[in-house]
Amino acid sequence: MTSSTIIDDLKKKKILALLKEGQRIDGRALDEPRQLTIDTGVIPKAEGSARVRLGDTEVVCGVKVQPDKPFPDLGDRGIFICTAEILPLADPSAEPGPPGEEVIELARVVDRGIRESGMVDLKQLVLEKDKSVVGIFIDNSVTDYDGNLFDACSYASVASVLSCKLPKFKYDSSNGSVSKVEGEFSAPPITTIPVSVTMGKIGDTIIVDPNADEWSCMDGRITITTNAAGNICAVQKGGHDGFTPEQLVQCSKISIATGAKIRDILKQAGGS
Amino acid sequence: MGVKKTDIVLLDENGIRCDGRKINEPRRIMIKAGVLKNANGSAYIEFGENKILAGVFGPRDVHPKHLANTDRGILRCRYHMQPFSVGERKNPAPSRREIEISKVIKEALEPALMLENFPRTVVDVFIEILQADGGSRCAALDAAAVALADAGIPMRDMVSACAAGKVADTIVLDINNEEDQEGQADMPVAYMPNLGKVTLIQLDGVLTPQEYEKCVNTALEGCKLVYEVQKKALQEKFFGDDAK
Amino acid sequence: MDDVKRKYVIPGDVITTGPYRAEENVHLHGDKIIATTVGISEIYDSGVRVIPLTGMYIPRIDDFIIGIVKSHTSLSWELNINSCYAGILPAQDVFGRDFNPKVDDLTSRLKTGDLIAARVANSDRSRDPLITIADRDLGKIEDGELLKISPSKVPRLIGKRGSMIQTIESATKAIITIGQNGYVVVSGEEPEGLLKAIEAIKTVEEQAHVPNLTERIQQMLGSNSE
Repeated sequence: MTSSTIIDDLKKKKILALLKEGQRIDGRALDEPRQLTIDTGVIPKAEGSARVRLGDTEVVCGVKVQPDKPFPDLGDRGIFICTAEILPLADPSAEPGPPGEEVIELARVVDRGIRESGMVDLKQLVLEKDKSVVGIFIDNSVTDYDGNLFDACSYASVASVLSCKLPKFKYDSSNGSVSKVEGEFSAPPITTIPVSVTMGKIGDTIIVDPNADEWSCMDGRITITTNAAGNICAVQKGGHDGFTPEQLVQCSKISIATGAKIRDILKQAGGS
Repeated sequence: MGVKKTDIVLLDENGIRCDGRKINEPRRIMIKAGVLKNANGSAYIEFGENKILAGVFGPRDVHPKHLANTDRGILRCRYHMQPFSVGERKNPAPSRREIEISKVIKEALEPALMLENFPRTVVDVFIEILQADGGSRCAALDAAAVALADAGIPMRDMVSACAAGKVADTIVLDINNEEDQEGQADMPVAYMPNLGKVTLIQLDGVLTPQEYEKCVNTALEGCKLVYEVQKKALQEKFFGDDAK
Repeated sequence: MDDVKRKYVIPGDVITTGPYRAEENVHLHGDKIIATTVGISEIYDSGVRVIPLTGMYIPRIDDFIIGIVKSHTSLSWELNINSCYAGILPAQDVFGRDFNPKVDDLTSRLKTGDLIAARVANSDRSRDPLITIADRDLGKIEDGELLKISPSKVPRLIGKRGSMIQTIESATKAIITIGQNGYVVVSGEEPEGLLKAIEAIKTVEEQAHVPNLTERIQQMLGSNSE
């Protein structure tokens, strides 16, 4: 849906002509992301939440925390699941119904970036080994589309988790029941702040955080997630063109540099 | 998965991996082109314990019609695991993982195909995982590329795929199932060897910038090894004994 | 012909570099000329091309082809011509100018499953290829057996100035009609000759890349020399 939006040819020509001069249609530098605004705590009923605007792309994210059974082979760690959905009101081409391959990829890439960074120490979310653990469920809903949902959803998820208050649960070993301790909360066990940076490739030019117009003339794209130590935790290439090995290294450097700036914004928003 | 985690030594003091390979050694790779009668092109690959069949149809009429593109042909890929291909029976319905892999495989093959020559048509690539091991998406891609060449779909270049990863703090070539489960990072890469372009790259796991670069280069070396096997498969089918 | 340089290639193989003309089944990347299909590359004069050993039939105007009727509307037949596109045979082509869709029933002339010998009248990127049977020797094929070979092997089956086809026909007494699209109809009075002809055609398809194939087929059919 998002990539099939047809852009008028004149605008496309302009985007390409400007890029040849090293300029972008909205005046940004090639490696400059759009303005990022994050409000946390927007959904009080959720344990953590955020509304993120990246340019005109808008995402609302909520975190629910509840006790659950662990995965059979992962009895020593809590559950962490991150999803994403494009709401029908976000884009004229978005339709209700089962997710298509683009939305499935979006959700999996956002989930993978945060999961692989080890942002939340899941081993601290065990109530009783192999029996009961705490689950953190992060749901992203795209409410307005202007390109680059990967980063917008990732920032929304990270900000929601940072602002999240973990309720305290008690496991009763006599009957295996779990109860919530009212009024007691703690901060989630955060180990690092992952930042996803998505870059588009138009011709041989790499641009950071493409907007919807740029997104629809992109030849290829790559999303690289880095952690606070400046290491790379996840990569996903997409689009119908390839990258040279040199471009892959260039993109990794951009993602580390840009990621550091965005990490500061996320930290502030998360209140840590 | 039946083995307890603590029982596996991923890399011993002599630099030998859990399946006896050296750090830069790929698993055994065998590809055969033209294995199906009805498909326009086909290939079978064994890559480690992976056993994968790929069939290509087209270019042909697009159904449903509204998917057709008047400027160029379209490509559809389906990566599908057989219920019996893994330890515990897999539900035959396509999972979210399979849908994502189908998409990245499609996007890895697309740069190589000259579909602009076939407006209003579709090329369908069907990939069936008969037995799965680590690196099945790379092996699937390798078979699909050979099947496309076998079908005679015009291609700018071959597409060769291989993974690299990090195991016991060391960058190694071609991750197997145990290394995928217990290792620190897995990076599948697909490459057009003559045009020098990476058409698929994914990464799970943490790498320093230096390790990242090394991992990319290690995977590319693997792609080049795979490329030779793909070439041989096509030469054997089309040129038989005459191929020097 | 001796100064033509030939080589087996697969997609991606760099055939040569330098100021050559890139012709069929190759593409230019920088100064490299790269094969886009499995086949035999040829460098001659200043041009480079690849003779494909696999691939779909791409219709070209005036090609003689064999088609199978797969359906019809009130105005035209749709033909399977072994290509990525269906061939369109307009009703006027068969009924003439005064064709009237209200009166004339298309199935009275050709129905689904019929084989026809035809030519490509028009073919471009934007439409399905237009087919005609309005010429002598064209039209419905009444008897014979249909074989399907790879369209890329058709030149080999015909042979230089028809040498291969003549060899097979004279040794088997069969009549062979070859469509450029890889559909071949074999007919003949003698069942044994028919079988031998079919076998010979299959051998040509399997060994299309082998040199001196005509001699091999001659040996196989036992026609010592012709």
